[in-house]
Amino acid sequence: MKHKFITSTTVKAIFGNLKLALFLAFKSMFRGNKWALVLIIVVMAFSFVNLIFSSAIISGVMATMDNQIVDTMFSNVVVSPKEDRFYIERSSELVPQIQQVSGVAETCVHLNTTGFIEYGWKEKTLPWEKVKSGNWNIDGINPAQEALVTSIGHNMIEGRYLDEDDTDQIILGVEIAGGNQAQSSDFMTLGGVHIGDKVQVTYANGVQREYTIKGIFRAREMMVADHLAFVTRREMVSILGRSNFSDRASEILVKADKNGIEDSLASQLKALGTDLQVRTFKEYGGAYRSVISTFELIMGIIGGTGLMVAAIVMFIIIYINVLSKKRQIGILRAIGIPHNAVLGSYLIQALFYSLMGILLGWLIIRVVLQPYFIMHPIDLPLGFLSLHIESGSIIGSAAGLTFASLLAGLIPAWTVMRESIIKTLWGV
Amino acid sequence: MHALKGVDFNVKEGEFVAIMGRSGSGKSTLLRIMGLLDLPTGGEISIDGIDALKLHEKDRAKFRLERLGYVFQEHSLIAELNVLENVYLPAVADLARNNYKHRAEEILEIVGLKDRINHYPSEISGGEQQRVAIARALINQPKTLFADEPTASLDEDSSKIVLDLFCKLNKEMKQTIVMVTHEPDDKQYVDRVIWMKDGRLDT
Repeated sequence: MKHKFITSTTVKAIFGNLKLALFLAFKSMFRGNKWALVLIIVVMAFSFVNLIFSSAIISGVMATMDNQIVDTMFSNVVVSPKEDRFYIERSSELVPQIQQVSGVAETCVHLNTTGFIEYGWKEKTLPWEKVKSGNWNIDGINPAQEALVTSIGHNMIEGRYLDEDDTDQIILGVEIAGGNQAQSSDFMTLGGVHIGDKVQVTYANGVQREYTIKGIFRAREMMVADHLAFVTRREMVSILGRSNFSDRASEILVKADKNGIEDSLASQLKALGTDLQVRTFKEYGGAYRSVISTFELIMGIIGGTGLMVAAIVMFIIIYINVLSKKRQIGILRAIGIPHNAVLGSYLIQALFYSLMGILLGWLIIRVVLQPYFIMHPIDLPLGFLSLHIESGSIIGSAAGLTFASLLAGLIPAWTVMRESIIKTLWGV
Repeated sequence: MHALKGVDFNVKEGEFVAIMGRSGSGKSTLLRIMGLLDLPTGGEISIDGIDALKLHEKDRAKFRLERLGYVFQEHSLIAELNVLENVYLPAVADLARNNYKHRAEEILEIVGLKDRINHYPSEISGGEQQRVAIARALINQPKTLFADEPTASLDEDSSKIVLDLFCKLNKEMKQTIVMVTHEPDDKQYVDRVIWMKDGRLDT
């Protein structure tokens, strides 16, 4: 069996060809048509911007949706009772333990139940007459502690947030209150109530209470948060029974001191007790997670299409370039310029176009687009959307574009180089 | 149909040979085969004792680069390179010889174009372009220089300058030259004429 060793002669030949390829490539690019060079780089730049921008918008939508869920519903991690239990017992002992865990910033305790909320019940002439009403979840909260974990209190569109002493006041999500700012149809809400209006709540255990609407909030989390009502924990405990519920919790929301550590935080919290369930906010996704999965798929399709378009543009540019210089390529081959040096010069040109385009595109993103969207985020129903650019996305797009450009540059050059010298020179 | 039929001849070192004949006689085909730009369907090409047809494509290219030189009929310079760069282009890949720029200037002086080294092909005349092509063909000190109708697209004065240059290279530098031409007057410049007719040597 013969082995082909890399000799110093071979290494010299490789470096010699590389030197020649660089020489031919840079002379061709910088002594040739400058406008064509600028145009190619600009086209590559906008191909790169398109790749990053479309994925950044979709990532931004996904991040906004995730942030909404974290800020308004579940925070980063939720501690809840085991599946065979309704409540966490001795929550006042558990909370300090949770606070001790590394990475925990704040916690808040919820005591939840469902309630039948009616508006205009006093106008009923018959007991079975239906007025604006519905069944919704009602959370008992410590307002001050809640404000440290969720953003409900910062999203009041009417009235004010709860105070700890409030016992006959309730705040409603906009999808319960109804009106112009609600997304739900009128029949699914209380028909447009306002602060100061009174509602009657019949709780699941049969207790009935009358409340004054203190505030209405719009958290922009249309699936769940805006369909919630809040009363103080003191009020909820009095509804459910002080003797049993004074130290119980339906769930404890845990806010991390930074995003992205949910999984490790959850692992640490699981060690606190075997009668607890610990889940990150992602596990509560439900419909959102399938929406996000859909967006990820769309992102992949857009990214793939963008790369294909960029590759086709590069292919056409290099192909026209090679065709217009076909005779020149024949001359180079005829005088003995190595095949690899000629091919290499076209690959170097393709690489140069893509790298310059990526650099220009990155500058456009960093200097123009990103600052613009920070100053002017897009106001969507689910929240304010700005560009969410991940370094992985930039590296991946740059690598993909470079590879596509090299391939697109290689094919036309290689096709012409395959022809005989006679045909290249004289067309026969 | 065969462009060449049973062509058999030798060229001695230092000879200046012209291949002449009517259009379609096979003279350009013969030159291209001798210069390893094309392959014959049969026969043998021996250059310096080496059977050139047994070489692999890459080795044939290396052989052309190191041992043979070419001058084409027209438009054979690289437009983006100036005169000096066009001349030293074939020597760039040879890392062992990094004095190629100096050598290119010397050759340009021999062909009478030292004052044009920074000009581009579009800035010089057709005759001057051919002289640059000749200089390029000489940069790697080839054993044999092949010229395919080098004066076909030049006027009389420019043609004379080019042919005088070939003579000078042959006489002073003992350069072996094989030239295809259809001009009868070019006979006066060469040592020997090989006549072609219908793909054969016309003896």
